[in-house]
Amino acid sequence: MSDDQMPDPFDSLKATQAPDPRADAKQRALAAGMAAFEAAQKKSEATPQGNPWGQRLTSIIASLKGIKIMDMRLPIGTAALALIVLPLGYQLYSTTSMTPAEVAVQRPAIVAPQAENLAKAEEPAPVVTAEPVAPAPMQDIAAPSALTRQAAPAGAVVQQSAIGASADAMFEREMAMPAPMPSLIALPTEPSGDTFTSFDEQRLKTAADEPVSTFSVDVDTASYAYTRRMLEDGFVPEPDAVRIEELINYFPYDYPTATSAAVPFQPTIGVFPTPWNSKTQLLQIGIKGYVPTVEEGKPANLVFLIDTSGSMDESDKLPLLKRAFVLLVDQLSANDTVSIVVYAGSAGVVLEPTVATDKAKILAALDDLSAGGSTAGAEGIELAYRLAESHKVSGGTNRVILATDGDFNVGIDDPEKLEDFIKGKRQSGTTLSVLGFGRGNLDDATMQALAQNGNGNASYISSFREAQKILVEEIGGTLDMIAKDVKFQVEFNPAVVNEYRLIGYETRALNREDFNNDKVDAGDIGAGHTVTALYEITPVGSGAEMIDSLRYGQTTEPPVAGDEIAFLRMRYKLPESDVSQLIEVPVTPEVVYRDITDASNDMRFAAAVAAFGQKLKGSNYGGEMGWAEIEALARSGRGADDSGYRVEFINLIKTASLLKPDTDSDPCDLSTSGDCE
Amino acid sequence: MLGLTAASPIEARHALTRALVTRAQNGDAAAFGELIEDHYDLIHRTAWKWCGNRADAEDVAQDVCIKLGAALAGFDHRSAFSSWVYRITLNAVRDMQRAGKRRGQYADAYAEVTPDEQPPEQEAAATSRQLWAAVRELPDKQRNAVLLVYAEELSHAAAAEIMGIKEATVSFHVHEARKTLRGLL
Repeated sequence: MSDDQMPDPFDSLKATQAPDPRADAKQRALAAGMAAFEAAQKKSEATPQGNPWGQRLTSIIASLKGIKIMDMRLPIGTAALALIVLPLGYQLYSTTSMTPAEVAVQRPAIVAPQAENLAKAEEPAPVVTAEPVAPAPMQDIAAPSALTRQAAPAGAVVQQSAIGASADAMFEREMAMPAPMPSLIALPTEPSGDTFTSFDEQRLKTAADEPVSTFSVDVDTASYAYTRRMLEDGFVPEPDAVRIEELINYFPYDYPTATSAAVPFQPTIGVFPTPWNSKTQLLQIGIKGYVPTVEEGKPANLVFLIDTSGSMDESDKLPLLKRAFVLLVDQLSANDTVSIVVYAGSAGVVLEPTVATDKAKILAALDDLSAGGSTAGAEGIELAYRLAESHKVSGGTNRVILATDGDFNVGIDDPEKLEDFIKGKRQSGTTLSVLGFGRGNLDDATMQALAQNGNGNASYISSFREAQKILVEEIGGTLDMIAKDVKFQVEFNPAVVNEYRLIGYETRALNREDFNNDKVDAGDIGAGHTVTALYEITPVGSGAEMIDSLRYGQTTEPPVAGDEIAFLRMRYKLPESDVSQLIEVPVTPEVVYRDITDASNDMRFAAAVAAFGQKLKGSNYGGEMGWAEIEALARSGRGADDSGYRVEFINLIKTASLLKPDTDSDPCDLSTSGDCE
Repeated sequence: MLGLTAASPIEARHALTRALVTRAQNGDAAAFGELIEDHYDLIHRTAWKWCGNRADAEDVAQDVCIKLGAALAGFDHRSAFSSWVYRITLNAVRDMQRAGKRRGQYADAYAEVTPDEQPPEQEAAATSRQLWAAVRELPDKQRNAVLLVYAEELSHAAAAEIMGIKEATVSFHVHEARKTLRGLL
């Protein structure tokens, strides 16, 4: 194969054979692979995405518009090439391969399942089109989370494209698909190696057809920390990594707090012009969780469950985690106990439950932690929960805090069982939070799923500064839940609002009927947490409508409540209660600001963050706003910014503008080397 | 021309792999299990050759299995499945080594190389060790090109597919590698 002169020193490389793999390492790897596969399956069943490009067929066609010849030639040419190159490649490969040739399973094996799919596809498949938003987001509903699989929705069956074609044609197409737009193909682990739940953006809805919008609160901020880290390292994060609500909720907002623990929050509402569209308005709803006074501080029983697999042996993982925990331990008092369990690499109890004031003992145990070895499953999680339960404090916080870089091999392999286990423990009073570390292996989807099932939070700790934010400044919110299962429902008045769109919260959407169903799980709010939701609304008669009104059958509804814009309902449960409380507030014209400069700093800043998120992920909405305008808006909303997070964000906008210039519609299109680079 | 006799088992295995991939993409866990079982040896062997020690090779191989599980839905059949597996493996090796630390830690682990192979004379063994060590220290692309072409004995075309570059660029990287290692070779 060498085209060089004969005695080629490189030729001696082939003489070396790798030793056979060890059986136990192989078994572990295969088991881990299966677990990842099953986790990915559950994820993809939640979204109607079967075949990775089939559903995107329209955009592929659009991209070929105007080059009709290519349209024909490309697939045929590629198919011909594939027929030659693939077998050739296989022959070459097999000359070195150690795997024995297997029995023939010819094309029928492939065609059969596809034919079946096609048959199913021929039935109208309304699910794909009718509910593009609903399926992905169901993470929050009781059983559901990214990990649970309900029975596959009908849409999931429509694996291949729904275009009526013979099975053979399907086969050819599959062979020959001209590798359309790499950016559109869901590739959860590449290029970063981190995995995210994929979701579709919230779509525009008309108030006349769907006047009610329901979602669960989300106080997680992992997405912002991750996005910031990627940008600072010089990468544009993948779109699914950017959850706009988590970007917005990362920042502290100065909403008025509630006065008592009985009604733990009250809404702050404002309506102001949209910075990226002069004809629409933004409806902002903000709440801030009640902060208990010092005397009300609850005792905490914390069990750290720490990943010590070899991959944690990097400066931004285990060493950072150790320093972060020192911060946390400093916050605790004599009422609190701490214990440490490790899994993977080494396994077992490292620190028996210890009073938090015995810092020397805790820190010594932390110092002794070291990462190494390949990941071996241990009964880590059960051990941690056993420890938590053995020192349970009633009326206080009992929590397992899982710290990992993405290795969830905690002793229960089946993700569904793991979730059920966590859910069961939550009901008996022990909750779970997840702290993510490092980059390259981070399994964001699993983090979110576990934390949501455990009624805890998922945070991503990228730096010491971030550790300080989560474990010192927001320690109350992290450990002290003041309200659980908090749901928002906004009903728009079709007489005033023509169209609306919720910004972010894609993975938190709820069904309308879930709002009043106390069995349906939703997000939790900790002491001092702020939650902000933004709707872009198109007032009636503004001329900015994207959806044409119906020609037939449109019954003009009588204006119900005069000039009210919308009606906000919030449901929550107090920490010890299983019955939800209701807060209802109308959104009236009094809260409308005619000019964005009249709106509060918080409103302008939140709008800037939303614009930033939309632009960064290449949203269908709000893309026209330039980075400079976003930066100016963020600056105008900076306010006092005691913590410095807003200034940091403004700097981040600059970084983003360099990595993804205004003119550059989609940086992913620049990737020439395909999916895995 | 490729020899009709040889073509059929290859076609068969190709078809089998394809079928498994398709089934796995449709959610068949058993098919996925078979698929990674079939490819584990390839992954491990590659990881071992690239890293030169068992611990890293096993870590990388496990990583790759996890990535395959998570990313299989995104595999689009544009390249052969084995090429895709190679590519993920090489990326995993790169990520691990880029993560730092461990490369130095095992710098001398190449001593493991070839103990049980056809025992050549001492001198030849020493040269081979030295060569392996030097090749593993090459910049990513040069190393990948050299090892794919010479250690894995793939064609330049196959190596190009795996690396996602043009065939001529593979030759270029091999050429560069020769230049880099000139003193040694």
